[in-house]
Amino acid sequence: MTQGAGPMNRGGGPMGPGGGPPRGGPGGPSVVTAPQQQGYAKPLPGIDEENKPFWDYAKKHELRMQKCLQCGKIYYPPSSLCPHCHSWQGSEWVKLSGKGQVYSFIVARRATNPAFAKEVPYVVAIIETEEGGRLISNVVGCKPEDVKIGMPVEVLFDDVTEEVTLPKFKPAS
Amino acid sequence: MELQDMKNRAAVVGVGYTAEQGTVPGRSALSFAMEATKNAIEDAGLKKDDIDGLLIQPVIGMQSYTVASYLGFDNLKLLANEDVMGASGACLAIHAALAVASGQVNYVLCLYGTNGKSGRGGPAGPGAGGGGPPRIVGTNAAYGLFGASAEYALAASRGMHVLGTGPETWADIAINQRKWANLNPRATFYKKTMNREEYYAEPWIAEPLRRADCCLVSDGGRAYIVTTAERARDLKQPPVYIAGMGQNHHTADIAQNIHTTGPTGAQKSGEAAFKMAGITTKEIDACEIYDCFTYTVEITLQSYGFFKPGEGKDFFKNGRTAPGGEFPVNTSGGLLSEVYYMGFTPFTEGVAQLRGQCGDRQINDPHFILSSSNGGILQTHGTVILTNEDVGNHIKE
Repeated sequence: MTQGAGPMNRGGGPMGPGGGPPRGGPGGPSVVTAPQQQGYAKPLPGIDEENKPFWDYAKKHELRMQKCLQCGKIYYPPSSLCPHCHSWQGSEWVKLSGKGQVYSFIVARRATNPAFAKEVPYVVAIIETEEGGRLISNVVGCKPEDVKIGMPVEVLFDDVTEEVTLPKFKPAS
Repeated sequence: MELQDMKNRAAVVGVGYTAEQGTVPGRSALSFAMEATKNAIEDAGLKKDDIDGLLIQPVIGMQSYTVASYLGFDNLKLLANEDVMGASGACLAIHAALAVASGQVNYVLCLYGTNGKSGRGGPAGPGAGGGGPPRIVGTNAAYGLFGASAEYALAASRGMHVLGTGPETWADIAINQRKWANLNPRATFYKKTMNREEYYAEPWIAEPLRRADCCLVSDGGRAYIVTTAERARDLKQPPVYIAGMGQNHHTADIAQNIHTTGPTGAQKSGEAAFKMAGITTKEIDACEIYDCFTYTVEITLQSYGFFKPGEGKDFFKNGRTAPGGEFPVNTSGGLLSEVYYMGFTPFTEGVAQLRGQCGDRQINDPHFILSSSNGGILQTHGTVILTNEDVGNHIKE
C-alpha cells in the first residue's frame, strides 16, 4: 500500500486518516487522540495522522513500517517525510517478518504508573526488526532475567482494548 | 572569520546562585529565576540596566518575555527561550558569546529557575527528557516506559553489553561525585556520604540504573552573565573566558538513537571546542560533565576522547575523579549530588573553580576546565572550554 504523494494527500491509502480533510498542515501532527480506555487502565498510544496506519495494521495483527519509495529505507516512528532522504514521494507500509532481536532492554522493578503495579518486574526493550526498523516494545513470555541483548524475538499481538492492539515480542521459537 | 578567532573573545563575569537549593517549597520557578538574576548582576558588579540580553532555558509556563517583564528589563537587544533540553546550559553561553562578539549586545544574562522538586515548574514530569512528540512519548508509556530514567537505562544497558562497563563503574562515578558534594555546603548531599555497599543497596529506578545513578530533582535557580573579554577585565570578578565551544545534536529518540554507546554529540562538539581553544584533552585540568545519570558521565568522557571505548571500566577506579584524584570530575557534586539545574550546574561550577572560589573543594590552580551539557536521551550536546588564562584573540582587538 502506498502512502499519498505529498503531505496534503496522505489519506489516499485505505489506512490513511479516513478520507476527511487533513486536520493538520504539513508541519506535523495537530491532533493526538487517546482511544477509549474500556476498562483498560494503562496508557494507550497517542494516535495521530502520522501513526494511525501503524496502529490500524497492528489491530489486524500485522507489523508494518514505512519504506521510503525513493531511497528504499525503512523508517520509524511514522512520519510524512523520510528522515533519511527527505523524499516527499511517499512511502509504502511494508509488512515485516515480525522477527528481530533485542537491541537493548531494561527491567522495570517499580510501577512508575500504578496501572503497571501487577506487571512488575517487566521488560521494556528496543527491538531491532529483521528489516532494520527499531521500536520500543515489551519482551514477554519469559523471565526478565532470561532476556539478553541480541536475543532473537518474534512479534505477538496483544489486543489490549477493542480499539488498540500492542505489538509485543517473545523469544523466537 | 575562523573558529579560532572566537577564542577568549567572550567571558563569564557573573554567576548567580539562590540562597536555598534543593527542597524549597512554596516558591515559584520564576521567583528562583529572579533571585538568581539579582545575585548574578551583583556578583558581576553590574547594574540592572547593564543587562541588554536575556536567554532563558524555559520550564513549564515560563517565557523569556514574561521573565523579562518581571525583571523590569526594558531595553533588551536579545531575548529568547532557548531549549535544547539539558544541553541549554552550555548552548546558551555559546549563543551569548557569539552575540557579544558581534557587537549587537553587551551583557547577556543566561537563566534557569525551577520548582521541580516541590512544585510543578520543572523538567521532572512524566516523559520528561524524552523530548518527543506525544505520539512517541505516549507510545512509550503504553509499554510502561516512563521518563528519562528508564530511557537512559536503555542506553546504559546497551553500554554494558558493548563497553563492558556497568554498576561497578557507575558506583565509582557516583561515589567519587558524592565525595565532592561532601565538600560543598550548597550540595543537597553535603552531609550524606555514600560507600559502595550503600550504592548497591539503593533501589532500582529502572534496572540497570539504581537511584544513586540518577540525578536529583531540585528547587532553585542559577544564572550567569556573558560579555566581551574587554569588558570582563574591568569588572568585579576574575574573568573566566570561553576558550572553546561547540554544539552537536544527534536528536534521534531512544529507539532510533545509534549513538547511545558513543560517540555522542560530545565528540564533534568537543572537537570544535578543542580546535577553537588550540588545546587537547591533556591540557584539561578538570571536567564538569552533565551527569543526569552516572552512565552519561562515562559515555561523555569517552566521547571526548579521555579514554577509549572499553577503558571506561577502569577509568574511574581508585578515586581518580574524586577529591584528591588526578582527574577531578564534577567538583560540586554535580547533578547527582549537588543540585539539578540542568546544564547550569556544571557550567557555573567550572566558572567558580577557575575563579578560585570553591573553598574546601577548590582544585589546585586550574587553567582549563571542560564543561558539557547534554540533553534528551543523549540527543543534544554543548561543550564549552573555560579558562582563566588571559591570552587569546581578544588582545588583537
